[in-house]
Amino acid sequence: MVEIERECSCEKNPLVPQVCQIVEITDETPDIKTFKVKTMEGTKPFAPKPGQLGMFSLIGIGEGMFSITAQGEDYLDFAIKKIGMLTDALHEVKPGKQIGLRGPYGNTFPTEGCKGKNMLFIGGGIGLAPVRSFIRYAFENRKDYGKIDIVYGSRTPADLCFKDDLFKNWPAMPDTEVHVTVDKGDENWNGHVGFVPAFVEELNFSPADTIVVLCGPPIMIKYCAQSLKKMGFADDQVVTTLEMRMKCGIGKCGRCNIGSKYVCLDGPVFTMAELADLPAEY
Amino acid sequence: MKLSKSKVNQALDMLAKEATVLVPMIVDGVSKFAPWGTEGKLALDIVNTLLPPKDALFPQTEKMYKYKVSAETAEVKEITDSDKQVVFGLRSCDMHSIDCMDAVFLTKGYVDNFYSRKRENLTTIAINCTKSNPTCFCDSMGVDPNNAASADMQLIDIGDAYVVEARTEKGKAVEALWQPLLEAGEGTATPISCELKLDMAGLPAKLRGMFESDIWDDGYQACIGCGTCTYICPTCYCFDINAENHGQEGVQFRCWDSCMFSEYTRMAGGHNPRPSKKERLRNRFMHKLAYFDERYNKNLCAGCGRCVVNCPVNIDITRFIEKVKEVPVNG
Repeated sequence: MVEIERECSCEKNPLVPQVCQIVEITDETPDIKTFKVKTMEGTKPFAPKPGQLGMFSLIGIGEGMFSITAQGEDYLDFAIKKIGMLTDALHEVKPGKQIGLRGPYGNTFPTEGCKGKNMLFIGGGIGLAPVRSFIRYAFENRKDYGKIDIVYGSRTPADLCFKDDLFKNWPAMPDTEVHVTVDKGDENWNGHVGFVPAFVEELNFSPADTIVVLCGPPIMIKYCAQSLKKMGFADDQVVTTLEMRMKCGIGKCGRCNIGSKYVCLDGPVFTMAELADLPAEY
Repeated sequence: MKLSKSKVNQALDMLAKEATVLVPMIVDGVSKFAPWGTEGKLALDIVNTLLPPKDALFPQTEKMYKYKVSAETAEVKEITDSDKQVVFGLRSCDMHSIDCMDAVFLTKGYVDNFYSRKRENLTTIAINCTKSNPTCFCDSMGVDPNNAASADMQLIDIGDAYVVEARTEKGKAVEALWQPLLEAGEGTATPISCELKLDMAGLPAKLRGMFESDIWDDGYQACIGCGTCTYICPTCYCFDINAENHGQEGVQFRCWDSCMFSEYTRMAGGHNPRPSKKERLRNRFMHKLAYFDERYNKNLCAGCGRCVVNCPVNIDITRFIEKVKEVPVNG
């Protein structure tokens, strides 16, 4: 059983962004790019905890809430899929572009509550982006966690995000296994082919002392949750993140509510047990 | 102390030297809170104005920051304007709405600075109701039409004068300013209650268990998604954030939004968790009567009756509440 940690605070006006700079852009897949962001002074814009969000803006065009997939001493990384007006424009910008950034927003993955547990991270598509913040944290604090399993799937081999992590960095970590699948392979693909939920069942993980962090398209979450249940995982052993349309990021503007909860403030991280108590309206 | 009704104009003149004083007025046939000194007819006898005074704290459009952008660079400058304002003559229902907005904008982790600056600069002067409209039901919602407990000053209508009760430092400052106009005197008003009575006991908890009820299958069809209910509602506070570009410069602003619009929840990529009017109306009623209570321990309905009167297709929250009461408890 795991408790979700929630806290928030802000010294500045939380609705006014700081101007930051995109210093590097990495093509992950044909429609996903990772944007490395620093302040104008070359420092880290803020220090999010794993799972937290940032409101990223092309000033004058639009703002969007994105998970912070990674952070270092002096940067934040956002992996962003091209899906709408803002992200289409974002995929056109070049390094050096100044952007607006506010945050961090939302609650965090239960990094404390998971200490001493085995971790099963499951991601689908761009859903690996938020999960990755916790995976990186777990590797930075490797002794705090037991065995680590990472299951990741995408539509095709070309759609696999963070390939260096999946095939080089993570498999090299101690007591760690990475399991990758694609919905549809190609002539160069020798790995597993099939949907993530079926793959998870095939891998037959033990629920003993294990916490699952699950993120991906809603349909994948739904079927993975069913698979995990069949395998004996309880609802409070499974952690996921939700997405809703957001504007303010601080629980005021109204639109991201699920029942009386605001995803931007009370989420995005929820256990399946918490979701069972909320209306299924997401 | 009391303020003779014949001296109200003078009292407003005195306040208007120090602040923008918003008073119930009829302007071009519309009753609303408008600045004292502008064109319009003072209307202290109407029970509640068509438009509530919420825009004193939460303007329909509010500028947040200015920006300048070029192909690469960006600059941002916060807008911090806030003038002193007084809302004079507001009713208990509208004061309850301010209490609700205070809970939203000032609590739960983040203070909304745009709101808090306006709130600090606002003085509220309430007047008790001496009659109710047929569509008034504030006392069913826990609001006392005879007394707005959280107002800075309460005026009690005793016929030819108002008894002045200053309750906060801001209220006492108004009383001090009015000193030359005030006369010794006490008095009480005959308490009123609303004719329209709704039984709210246990309703929020009951509604929370009715998300999947078939009660939502009926009634939404008439809704034309015009958003009138949310715009004239004193407690509705949802907003959108957008940018207005003028070449390389522009202003980021927020403006009232409505949960009755499909775009409100539609995400990039097209998914909409509340795709039809059914889900949107359910969310609106649930928010008013259950979700807000769960989060802030208040009804997000002040019982002012504005939406009941002005909905073009007669969707009526009071009839809905009665319908919920009739549903068997585990239904």
